[in-house]
This record gives sequence, C-alpha cells and structure tokens, in this order.
Amino acid sequence: MKTFDPVQLAIPFFVLAVILEIVLARLGKANARYEAKDTAMSLTMGLGSSIAGAILGGAIFAATVWVWQHRIFTIPMTAVWAWVILFFAEDLTYYWFHRIAHERRFWWASHVNHHTSTHYNLSTALRQTWTGGVVGTWLLWLPLSFLGFPPAMVAIQKGISLIYQFWIHTEAIKKMPRWFEAVFNTPSHHRVHHARNARYLDANYAGILIIWDRMFGTFIPEVDEEPCRYGTVKNLASFNLLTNVFHEFIGIAKDVAAHPRHALGYVFGPPGWSHDGSRDTSHTLKAKWRARLERDGKATPETHAAE
Amino acid sequence: MDKALLIQLVGSAVAVSLLVAIAAWARIPRPTPPLDAEGARALLAVEFPDDRVDALWIAADGAGLVARSGERALVAWRKGDSYVARDLAWSAALAARPDKGFLRLKTADGAPRLALKDGAWPPREFA
Repeated sequence: MKTFDPVQLAIPFFVLAVILEIVLARLGKANARYEAKDTAMSLTMGLGSSIAGAILGGAIFAATVWVWQHRIFTIPMTAVWAWVILFFAEDLTYYWFHRIAHERRFWWASHVNHHTSTHYNLSTALRQTWTGGVVGTWLLWLPLSFLGFPPAMVAIQKGISLIYQFWIHTEAIKKMPRWFEAVFNTPSHHRVHHARNARYLDANYAGILIIWDRMFGTFIPEVDEEPCRYGTVKNLASFNLLTNVFHEFIGIAKDVAAHPRHALGYVFGPPGWSHDGSRDTSHTLKAKWRARLERDGKATPETHAAE
Repeated sequence: MDKALLIQLVGSAVAVSLLVAIAAWARIPRPTPPLDAEGARALLAVEFPDDRVDALWIAADGAGLVARSGERALVAWRKGDSYVARDLAWSAALAARPDKGFLRLKTADGAPRLALKDGAWPPREFA
C-alpha cells in the first residue's frame, strides 16, 4: 500500500541541511560543532529508528485503524477545519508524550537515546529512539483516531511535527523574532530542552507550539549568562551504539533485581529516583542548584522561576 | 527482502557514511585542550558542583583527572570532545593497580584508562 509519508520525502532535505550546517561551520559562517563519532552515533540511531519503525509500524497502524473503526465522529480528511483542530490536538498530545518520556523512567529509557549527544546540531535531530514502539507511547495518539481523525491524517500530522522539529536542533540560529519565540518552539527553546544544566532540566517539552509549556508551567527561557551544556546529567561513558539504545533499560533491570520491593519506583518513578534517596532526580538537582545560588548571593526571581 | 526497501536501506547507509565523512573532514569539534589545573578545577566545578576537592591529580596526557573528595574519588575523562564524570569509593581508586603506564579505574558504568606520569599509582598528590 502506498501512503503519503512526509518524513520520507524530507530525508533528502535533512541530508542537505546537515551538509550545509557542517560546511558553514567549517567556513566560520555558522555556530556548529561536529564530532565524527558523535555524528555517526546520531545518524546510525536515525537509520535504526527507521528500521524499528518499519518492523512495528504495521502493527501500530493496524491498532490505530481498529480504534478508528470504533470512532465517535467521522471527521473528513479533506476539511480545513479538521486539519486545524488536528494540528493543535496532535501538538498537545506530543507535549504530554514528551513530558511523560522525560519524567517517568520507563519511557525515559526509550527517549534518553535522543539526549545522549553532547552536541546540539542538526544530526542530533536524527538521533531517534529504536524502542518507541515497544514502550507503547504511540497509545497516547489513539484517542485522536477514536475521536474520528483518520489514521492516515494523524500519521501525516505526526510526520509534519517531526519535520518541524528537525530545524530547531541547531546552535546556528540564536533567536527568532519575538512573536515567533512567543508562540513556536525554536532553536533557543529546544536548546534549553537538550541542556543538562540543572537550571534547564525538565523544560520545554513542546513539539511545534511552545504555548503548551507556557500553559503548563514547564517553560524555561535560554539565558545568556548560562550557556547550555548538552547531553544527559551523567553523560554516557562510551560511543557503543547498543549501550546508547539500551543502557537505561539495563539500569532499570539491575535496580529492580537489586531492590524488588521498590520495583514500581525504579520503573515508573522519575529518572534518578532511588528508594533511599541516594541518587539525584531533576527535582533534587534543581534544589541543589538553587541552594548554591542562594549561598553565593546569586539567586534572582528568574532562578526561582526555573522550577 | 523487498527490493525497494533494500535499495532504501543501502542508500541510507551510504548517506550516513557520507555525512560522517564530511563531519570528520570538517574538523569542527569542540576545542578540548589537555587539562591543566585551572581547566581541571573548572571541569570539577561543573560536574561535581557540591563536592569539595581535597586533592587533585591530572593524567599525564591531560585527558582525565582524579580528585579526592572525602571518602570519594571524583573521576573525569575525555570521550570524543567532551568529558564523562563518575565517582567511586576513594579506597577503590587507591587500590587500582597501574598497568603499562596506565591506570584503569572501574566505575559503575565506565572504566577510564588514565595515563600515568611515571607509571606509579597513587601519585604524590595523594600522598
């Protein structure tokens, strides 16, 4: 069956854009850093993600079609109003998917792959998970089909969101116009999302519209006095591809085996949670950061806002 | 396997190789000069902001460090053009045995190989 897949169509654009970013950086015309092994990891993750998607995609699409067959309404794919509503509904779904993927360890185990690069360039955008289908986050999109949006329509909108999110993975663009920064996810907002500085943790989950973060209190602006440092709180110790894919799942398994009575906390608690409080979560890291600022007399209303 | 899928896979693999080759050719990694005392302390301040540093040793090639913080050893080592930071028990760090001019420390999920200045461990900084 031939289906319209905007992501497949965008791949040549992705390749050309990465080449352009590298060449401009080489010529000193753009702010971008590339390290060959890091780039190889990002791109191989992207390729593997496509293969994993092809393996599980059929089953997921079939489940979506089944839900749509039991829909409440019938929404026409040709209506402009339907696309407008879907644009907002899909983006809101993405926001909550992304928030859960960061704030609960089981889903973080799948999503962390996207954050393990210590670089922030266009190749980082392609560092996609291999295990998204397995952890079931796609279930979050099923209500859209249950409402009556045709599965193909939802798939296209998801693709459009993914394509939008490609260009924001760059340091080459500092800020967009103020009105744009207010409404849309931008390179600046998403740099914050990829930063490992305590100040910036668990923020800016937006897909296309940053308004969701502003509404739900997870928006943190990028500030000049604290440049983003990229990666995870504990950067990976190797460039091993399989380590990158599975390390957090392995960590969960080890923790559950060692502390079976606390299995639920280790699986569904926030990343960094431990039964004895011996590890740091984003929450404790931020608390320590704020305590340091107050100790040093550097606390400001803005630092308190970065909750 | 479907022929179109195979072509797509091979094409993607070629594109990945090409992009990695271009990234390597461009030589635009983050500057990561060998660590000196100032750089090492700055790195520790970022990676272990709440830990005091009692003593500091920098690897012979400047690609890693070990710091004592009470009964913990703070370790950082270069990976690509960035650093990885971990900690371990101070006693475990001291007990590590050098091998052919290098020290292999075992952390929870990494084993940095740190170059020794004179092949001896522990160094005089930790005496």
